[in-house]
Order: sequence, then C-alpha cells, then structure tokens
Amino acid sequence: MCSLNSRQIGRTTRRALLAFPAGRVLINAGSRVGFAAGILAFVLAGAVSAQHRITGSGDVQAKISYCKDCHGVSAQGFNGYYPIPRLAGQQPEYIENQLRAFIEHRRTNNIMFNVAHSLSPAMINALTAHFASLNPPPIGGAPRQLVATGRKIFEDGMPEVNIAACAACHGPEATGSGQIPRLAGQLYPYMLKTLNNWDKERGRNPTVPDAAAIMSPVAHSLNRSQIEAVAAFVSTLRSPRGTPNTVQ
Amino acid sequence: MTPKRQRRWAFRSSAGAAIGPAAVLALFLASPAAAQGNVSKAEADAKLRYCEVCHGVSAQGFHGYYPIPRLAGQPTEYLKNQLQAFVERRRTSNIMFNVGHVLSPAMIDALTTDFNQLDPKPLGGAPKGNIDEGKKIFEEGVPQANVPACASCHGPAAKGNGPFPRLAGQLYDYVTNKLTNWEKERGQNPAQPDISAVMQPIAHSLTQPQIKAVAAYVSYLE
Repeated sequence: MCSLNSRQIGRTTRRALLAFPAGRVLINAGSRVGFAAGILAFVLAGAVSAQHRITGSGDVQAKISYCKDCHGVSAQGFNGYYPIPRLAGQQPEYIENQLRAFIEHRRTNNIMFNVAHSLSPAMINALTAHFASLNPPPIGGAPRQLVATGRKIFEDGMPEVNIAACAACHGPEATGSGQIPRLAGQLYPYMLKTLNNWDKERGRNPTVPDAAAIMSPVAHSLNRSQIEAVAAFVSTLRSPRGTPNTVQ
Repeated sequence: MTPKRQRRWAFRSSAGAAIGPAAVLALFLASPAAAQGNVSKAEADAKLRYCEVCHGVSAQGFHGYYPIPRLAGQPTEYLKNQLQAFVERRRTSNIMFNVGHVLSPAMIDALTTDFNQLDPKPLGGAPKGNIDEGKKIFEEGVPQANVPACASCHGPAAKGNGPFPRLAGQLYDYVTNKLTNWEKERGQNPAQPDISAVMQPIAHSLTQPQIKAVAAYVSYLE
C-alpha cells in the first residue's frame, strides 16, 4: 500500500490537508479504505477541533472586546441609543438563559439575536465566567430622592398591595442567585424599560413558557413610581471589592 | 439645597407611591363586611398569586436567594401557626413578618385552604445517594441518639397533620437549613414557648449527614 502522493491529490490540497493533524492521517492513509476512513476521521476531527479551537484565549479575548463595545469597557453597561445593561457581576446561569431566550425569540431583541446565535456553548461559558468576575462601580445617575422608597420596596415588599419583596429572590444585596439575575448596579433606565415593558419583551413564545412568567405578575403589580423607586435603589448598589457575586 | 419645585415633586412622588390605587381599593374593601370575615374571591385570588411569586406557581417552592418552601398540601393549622409565629416574631423572617401582619383572619382562612388543596409534583433536585438512610431515619428514628421516628408525628407518608407540617415534597435545602438552624430561627421568644420546642432536641441530636439524608428522602415523596 502506498500513501497518497502528489499524483492523486493536488499540491494545494496536500498543503491544506497537512495543516491539520487529521489531515496527516489522511495523507498517510494509503489504501482506498484507509482513505475513506481518513476522510471520516478528518471531518469528525474538524468538527471536534472547531469547538475546542474557539476557546483558545485569543478568540475569547476578541469576543469579550466585541461585547464590551456595547456593554462598556468593564461591562458596567452603557447609555447607548437604548440603555445597554450591565453584565459585570451577573449570574452566569442568568446570562446563559437570556442568550438562549434571544436565540429562540422568547426574548425580543434583534441585535442580541444576531450576537447570541453565533456563540458556542464553550464560548458562552468563557464569556459568562469573565463577566461574573468583573466588579466596576455602578454608572449611577438615577434620581437620588427615590432611593429610600426603593429600598423599602426592595427589602420589605408592599404586602398590602401584593408586591413581593425583591430581596426574597434577588438577595438582600441584589446579587441574584443561579437563574435569578443580579440587579445591583444595573442601569436605571434599563430597569425602567425592563419592568415597564415586561410582557412585551419577555416570554414571547406562549408554547414555550419560561422563567419570565415568574416576574410577570410582579411587573404588572408595580406602578410607575414604584418601578422608578426600585430601579433607582438597585442602580446604586455595589458589591464589596473582591466579591462581585455571592456564590450560592 | 434642592430648589423648591424639585422638593415638592419629591414629596408628591413618594406620597403617590404610598397611596397607590390598589391601596385605595383595599381601604374601600375594608368595610365592616370584610372585617367580619368575608374576603372576596378576587381579593383572595390576588393575594394567592402574590404568595406564588415567591413560593412557586402551584406553591411547590422555589430556589430564590434563599430556598422558599413548598406550601402545597400543608395542613391549614400548621400554616396558620407559622403565620402567627412570624407576626409575633417567635419565628424570624423579616420578609414573612411583612407578609403576615397585613393578613386578616378571613384572608388567612382562604389562603391556607387554597394551599392545602394544591398538589404539584415535588421540585426535586436533591442528591440521591443517601435516600435509603433517610428512609430508615424517617421510619425508625435514631434510637441511640434519642431521635424518634419522624413518621410518628409527620405521618408514614410525611403528609403531616394539624400542627405537624407536611414534609413530603419539601425542598431539600429548605429542610436541611431549617433542621440545622432550628434554635436560631424558631421559638425566639423564651417568654412565649411554642410547639417548635418539640423539634428542638431532635434537630439538635441529628448529625449533618443524617439531616441531609432525611431531607433528601422527604423531598422526593409525593
């Protein structure tokens, strides 16, 4: 049996194949059976190595920079044409769920749909771990006189009007847990938009109900000034240095 | 010094928050008829939905920042006792204190009846490694540590009865936390001893692995 030589494959093809470890297998495969097996191995190896390849640190760094173009140099958020939310210190499971919701159009945002559907699971893991580790100070800028009322609603709820205490699920410092998002330091206008427009943006596929249903009655029950107060309060919250997330 | 106009707006918006339309409606509904023990279905449903924001859409429990317990299938007497304990601060929970102290007796009746009749599947998720040990402790106790069988009060299927809570389907980490922290959270008024004293020596005597085994076992019971 002889290995493939330049009479059976062209020079360019040979060079291309030699660039990949699996390609060398193919080149040395020899018989036709070996060649076919080699093709299969090459294709499979290509698929597997593609997944591993994008966790090379250069690719992750490039993707992080890309996210930060909009979300801020330390993912603290940015007041773009739309308020672009803080991702710093965010719960990894929450970000992952939102990315999936964007892809499946359960959460409506054309820009984020395009961002999300090109991310592999490995890339998502790398990104969410990176964002969770960041802890820049909040952007701030919310009306200060609303913060005290917001704190009361956040910590105690308003049981007389059936508004649950945010702290019960989001934590006493609004750091979130698991699928429940961190709110500490979130942008004031982003919180307003999110709570005011909850049903228009989240849980948009009635045949695939998701966690957005949990917040729907809350967003419904809060009136506009309560939303402003809570949004102002959480936008001021920051985590102590070195502990951007409380690990649950 | 904030300008006069801004200060007036600050007062208005906080007043507006305090006297929202729902509160006005609540005042209207707090007529003599309501005080005597009638609560409208709409009010009771709204309150139930509010409870379910934290306790789960069928009161099956929820992993919030803290594990929030299952209320579905709970005996009404147990729920009433706990609500009273929260309000009297014999059981410490700031959030539940706030929830509890605005509930009228009629509302409590309506809510506890609703919860008792719910029957969702357990939330699940507990580690399964020590369930057999948990079953043994539940059914036989730990005689050498003077721990009676849980079944003797909580029932053979952990469904509870009267003042004894249902444990079947309760969240694993909730049961673990409560048994581990029993003394710190229950019976907090020594001048007003309550039924939580029954569990105190049991919670004290169980080791951590035993607590986790029993908690895992009951968490899967339906």
